[in-house]
Amino acid sequence: MIALLVAEWRRMLIDLVRYPLETVSMMVVMFAVFAGMFFGASYLTQAPISGPNLTGVVIGYAVWTLVMNATGFMGYSIQNEAQNGTLEQVMLAPWRTVQIFLVRGVMDILEMLIPVLAVLAGLVALSGAHLLWRPIALVPALMTIVTAWGIGLLMAALALVFKRMSQLQLMIQFALLFIIIAPITNLGGAWGVGLGVLAPLSVQVSVLHTALGVAAAPASLTMWWEAAGDMVLWFGLGVWLLGGADRLARQRGIVGHY
Amino acid sequence: MLQAEDLVKRFKSRTGLITAVDRISLAVEGGEVLAFLGPNGAGKTTTIKMVAGLIRPDGGRVLLDGLDVTGRPARAAASLGAVLEGSRNLYWRLTALENLIYWGTLRRLSPRQARLRAGELLRLVDLEDRQHNSVQTLSRGMQQKLALCQALMHRPRLLLLDEPTLGLDFASAEAIKATVRQLARDGVAILLTTHQMDVAQELADRVAIIRTGRLVLTGLTAEVLESYSRPVWRILTRGPLGPEQVAAVRGLGWPLEQAGPEDLLVTTPDGDAQAIYRLLELLRPTPIRLVERHQADLAEVFQQVVSGTGEAS
Repeated sequence: MIALLVAEWRRMLIDLVRYPLETVSMMVVMFAVFAGMFFGASYLTQAPISGPNLTGVVIGYAVWTLVMNATGFMGYSIQNEAQNGTLEQVMLAPWRTVQIFLVRGVMDILEMLIPVLAVLAGLVALSGAHLLWRPIALVPALMTIVTAWGIGLLMAALALVFKRMSQLQLMIQFALLFIIIAPITNLGGAWGVGLGVLAPLSVQVSVLHTALGVAAAPASLTMWWEAAGDMVLWFGLGVWLLGGADRLARQRGIVGHY
Repeated sequence: MLQAEDLVKRFKSRTGLITAVDRISLAVEGGEVLAFLGPNGAGKTTTIKMVAGLIRPDGGRVLLDGLDVTGRPARAAASLGAVLEGSRNLYWRLTALENLIYWGTLRRLSPRQARLRAGELLRLVDLEDRQHNSVQTLSRGMQQKLALCQALMHRPRLLLLDEPTLGLDFASAEAIKATVRQLARDGVAILLTTHQMDVAQELADRVAIIRTGRLVLTGLTAEVLESYSRPVWRILTRGPLGPEQVAAVRGLGWPLEQAGPEDLLVTTPDGDAQAIYRLLELLRPTPIRLVERHQADLAEVFQQVVSGTGEAS
């Protein structure tokens, strides 16, 4: 597994350095969006925005960006490889398909995370604003990303069989946006718990908010368990479905088709 | 090294189930080149991809060094390398060296081992001075050489080559052929598919011809060519033959064509090794420029086998 990580890490670094315009453009866009949040919100409300509100908006956007990448990248990678004609070579490597594309998903998040953190640090220093951050928030943040990888694997499974699925991918990402924003976990009762476990990402984002101190009430232990259960469910489902899609694609002889 | 036994693959189509590969069995030993030939749509690529694990067979099995790798592509991958036709095999945004290091580390080499092996292979195919050029700037021939290097990074014992010289200029094709010969000398088992019969004839120790999913001919290249060669002799003389000489040859009762006054085409009886000497005796004292027996080439064998006019074994 380390060999696979090393291979993908090197490829990612080469890509970052080889095409600096892409990297710089990405950082400029991020900077513009975060700067808009830092300075724009205060301008619009004519009042300084800071503390929990600013943290909620900024971390929320950062997590949303990472989630969109985590859910979309693996499927995109398969489509791209199939289109370019390299997918069959990739799948001739001595790794399971799930391992290869999951490692790529992890590398993609690292590739995003490094500039996100750099831009955020720069803006905090520049604006003098204060973001609330507690180390415990890393746990729900990680659970959120792992759940998103689960959905990403599911999308990769669809991409492996159907190849062209960018519109479906957009639809799923919109649905996820709704799930993340809608207060499903506040529904309460059996429905709330059930939907919290079944609907991906909703409960993890709620726990993240409470861990950051953005939400009014702290997360209950049940919510933490729900978040963990939901993560295991969606990640497991993604691994299982990509494994199945791999078998199906090889059975139908459509691995390299586009 | 490779043993493919009774491979079967069926695909669904609008008209029903199509049998693309029907009980194909192949074996390739280390150091041997097997040319796997057939017309478009005959099932060559499907068979190769079943061997590679990219397509799962509906029947039969694939053994590599006696180990059943059917349906276990990750296990097969350690022993085989492939240059697939119609597939770019490489990342165009990476340089030649970066590509080789990437594919090497993906196949479990350490970055250091991958770098050393990449240097070795780039030297082998004479691309050392292009190692820092991105693949998209290389010529088609260079890309194909690099694709071959990519497949060899982890020192596979079985190499699958699907149309390795297609679209290459003479020099590039010769370089690829030289590399393939060298690999076979080094003990690599090579399964080659191509539509270029001259390439197959030059490289292959054995040939297998497939038609509509079925194997219709297998054998040692030299033996196959010999079995399809006919005792038809072309004799060119220096100066025209006299009418009495032509009449004497006709008297033998063998099929004869006279393409010109100095050009004879005679079919001697099958299995009669002395016939040519009797014929030449009749041409004395006219000087002879050339005596040539018909020697079938692979293109001719292929044409006959695929059209169903030739014997199959």
